[in-house]
Amino acid sequence: MPTTTTSRVELKIPGRPEFISVARLAVAAVAARMGFDYDDIEDLKVATGEALTNAIQDAQSRGVAAGEDIVVICALCERELVIEVRDKGSGFDPERRRQAVEQDELQEGGLGLLLIEALCDKVEFETKPDSGTLVRMTKRLADS
Amino acid sequence: MGKPVDVDVSSERLGGHIAVLRIGGEVDLYTTPQVKEEVLALIDGGVRRLVVDLSNTEYLDSTALGALVGALKRLREHDGDLRLANPQPRIRKLLEITRLAKVFEVRDSVAQALEGWDEQGATA
Repeated sequence: MPTTTTSRVELKIPGRPEFISVARLAVAAVAARMGFDYDDIEDLKVATGEALTNAIQDAQSRGVAAGEDIVVICALCERELVIEVRDKGSGFDPERRRQAVEQDELQEGGLGLLLIEALCDKVEFETKPDSGTLVRMTKRLADS
Repeated sequence: MGKPVDVDVSSERLGGHIAVLRIGGEVDLYTTPQVKEEVLALIDGGVRRLVVDLSNTEYLDSTALGALVGALKRLREHDGDLRLANPQPRIRKLLEITRLAKVFEVRDSVAQALEGWDEQGATA
């Protein structure tokens, strides 16, 4: 987390598809409060939704039917919003997913990562065997 | 939880093998199955040329885009086609990022999307 964090909003949701929109709305509300414009708020909603979709689909592929909790943390910094999505997943190889999309334009999966990276200013992925997967997305406030 | 209320999916057969699928609201991992179900029913029912009307689609995620790609592939297997009509600027942006704007034919209205498709549609 950046040292300039001024406030922090944490949300824990069940890792089930019907809760993705709840997190999207929460992130949109935080971004609006910070002064992000409409387009940037929509970008953040999509990026957050995609990170959660990844996490839930990963859990489903591991046979976790009930859905493990996913934590969404919004760190409000002076000129940027950092959103972390943490789950208990085993992680994935971003490079491999990128290549799959590039090799086949009719690829049905893997588009989420493309969206996250295009819509945020900075994206980091961390996977640790004991703490799961973390996607950290940063969006900077446009100069006013 | 019951049926998702975030999305409104309906379709209209126009005769021949042509149909218009209207998607209103938000389509994400939760609601995409409804879209998939409707598309499959249309294709199983003989539709080969499909216009997806996105005029009232407020939100579309990667799973929804994947479902549309799947529908296009399936229709092409039957010499059919799928066109997108009137996506809002936000959705157009997502189509550009994912390079799907080049995969799908995107038209400004349903009427324009139907242009060139005669009433017979493609031969099944």
